[in-house]
Amino acid sequence: MTIRATGITKRFGSYTALDSVDLTVEPGELLALLGPSGSGKTTLLRILAGLEFPDTGHLELDGIDALEASPRERKVGFVFQHYALFRHMTVFDNVAFGLKIRPRAERLPADAIRRRVEDLLELVQLAPFAKRYPTQLSGGQRQRVALARALAIEPKVLLLDEPFGALDAKVRKELRRWLRSLHQEMHITSVFVTHDQEEALELADRVVVMSQGRIEQIGTPDAVYDRPASRFVFDFLGQVNRLPCAVSGGVARLAGGALTVPAVGDPAQGDAVAFVRPHDLGLVPDGAGLAQVTAVTTVGPMARVELALAGETLEAEMPRGQWAGLGLAPGARCGLAIEQVRVFPR
Amino acid sequence: MSAEEKASVAQDSVAAPVVVRVRRPALAESRWVRRLLIAAALVFLALFLLLPLVAVFVQAFQKGFAAYWEALVEPDAVAAIRLTLLVAAIAVPLNLVFGVAASWCIAKFDFRGKHLLTTLIDLPFSVSPVISGLVFVLLFGLHGVLGPFLKSQGIQIVFALPGLVLATVFVTFPFVARELIPLMHEQGCDEEEAALVLGASGWQTFWHVTLPNIKWGLLYGVLLSNARAMGEFGAVSVVSGHIRGETNTMPLHVEILYNEYNFVAAFAVASLLALLALVTLAAKTALEWRFGAELAALKRH
Repeated sequence: MTIRATGITKRFGSYTALDSVDLTVEPGELLALLGPSGSGKTTLLRILAGLEFPDTGHLELDGIDALEASPRERKVGFVFQHYALFRHMTVFDNVAFGLKIRPRAERLPADAIRRRVEDLLELVQLAPFAKRYPTQLSGGQRQRVALARALAIEPKVLLLDEPFGALDAKVRKELRRWLRSLHQEMHITSVFVTHDQEEALELADRVVVMSQGRIEQIGTPDAVYDRPASRFVFDFLGQVNRLPCAVSGGVARLAGGALTVPAVGDPAQGDAVAFVRPHDLGLVPDGAGLAQVTAVTTVGPMARVELALAGETLEAEMPRGQWAGLGLAPGARCGLAIEQVRVFPR
Repeated sequence: MSAEEKASVAQDSVAAPVVVRVRRPALAESRWVRRLLIAAALVFLALFLLLPLVAVFVQAFQKGFAAYWEALVEPDAVAAIRLTLLVAAIAVPLNLVFGVAASWCIAKFDFRGKHLLTTLIDLPFSVSPVISGLVFVLLFGLHGVLGPFLKSQGIQIVFALPGLVLATVFVTFPFVARELIPLMHEQGCDEEEAALVLGASGWQTFWHVTLPNIKWGLLYGVLLSNARAMGEFGAVSVVSGHIRGETNTMPLHVEILYNEYNFVAAFAVASLLALLALVTLAAKTALEWRFGAELAALKRH
């Protein structure tokens, strides 16, 4: 299904949750709505589902005006952040609910419903848990029940609100991979909301980065990561070092002109801020170098190196082996190797 | 703690003399304090609950079972029992519907004046029952605001069944709503939204999702509401008119008999009310015992 939202604005009292948002979701794609809390991503998702209505704007699902349609007519599958499983029903009844409550004329016969639910429980690997109640399941299992329940009504689009938000790191990673492969199998148009950039970048075909009710950038994970359209996107998608610089002729002069680096991005001239990611910051052992190592911490396989450069604090990140190979220690001076920086006006 | 520190601690604990001390959890009181508190509670219960209850039954059976039975099957008593049951049978279902509706709109929606409505629901608890009854007399009585109109239409409300029902509904209204509002509030709207997205209609959502989630709370509320409906004295007394055999409910009948120094009959009818209280308590306890696990599961989720 194609989703086309145009000029969607939504206010809650004096607070603007969405400010004329335009978004098109292509058939079969897995799209991430990424942003910090309060960016309007969940509101947008709820508007797509029909749980919330925009103050202004249009929403078309497959060319049909969806704002006139009830949630039932929209045929969306929605997975809630806290699953919202029916607590008084077994896993089986939860998944069967959407099928059982259809009007008599559209309802499948009871044994067809049973088979379908069993197939779905098989798909989410929960067949042995059919008779359990939600409280008797772990978080990851509940999540999969919620997914099976959403898929039961054969939705044309699957909407997921922070699908992995309430799970611990390890389960989250497993489920993420599993959802990705499920999507590749079923090719159902899916939109999920997340505030975790890693999740969005790993899972989605395209990422929509949102901030304060507006869309900052839409693109493939590589595109938004490598070519952030704004300083917000650059900031939000990962760790970043910000350095004051002067730009002229495509070259940024850092650290008071001592370091010149090719600049890309906003065609700023004069005073600007250069953005560079910690893993793009190379170190060169140099006793008379510009920078000084102030601290090192190792996190798993990576070494995080804190540097001082002309009064600014920088962070570099590299594999532990590479760090060891440099032979640097806190207090040592070193040179910086930066391929390029992205500059934004000050 | 480094490995060295751990080792030294281990050595210390081996070297130190073994001191046996009675340990108790930080929140547990000493044995004497506990016993004193329990004893105080038991004495209080015995004095204020058990003793009156026993007194009621002792008085009722003072002149033997025959006199007791006589007092219960006497026509005025039977009429009072019937009227009480009838009033409860009308008032409790009404309160069930109103209570669910009120708690639904308060717990699941945001609207202007919500706090005011919540406060108003508690009003019957904070107003003296006599005032509650008087309100209806002032509204519907012969000299009341609507009195002349009602009289011209041949409708009698005060000093008749409708008045008794109105007063009872008013007084017992908060029970169901107060039981349900916190419960529904805690449960939120997530499940209802899930049902809607899955294609359920509003009615299906209520019937299959909301109602099963609140059924135990609702039952509590109905039980309490029923007990109060049958036992209400003040408000009912004002609107009743005390017409023997016609507008006398059980509590009013007890009062009349007592004022006539007919203690055996008064306490015999009173014993029925006491019995009702016991049955209500037993039903509540049985529910908790039988469905305790399920109740807990609903709350835990």
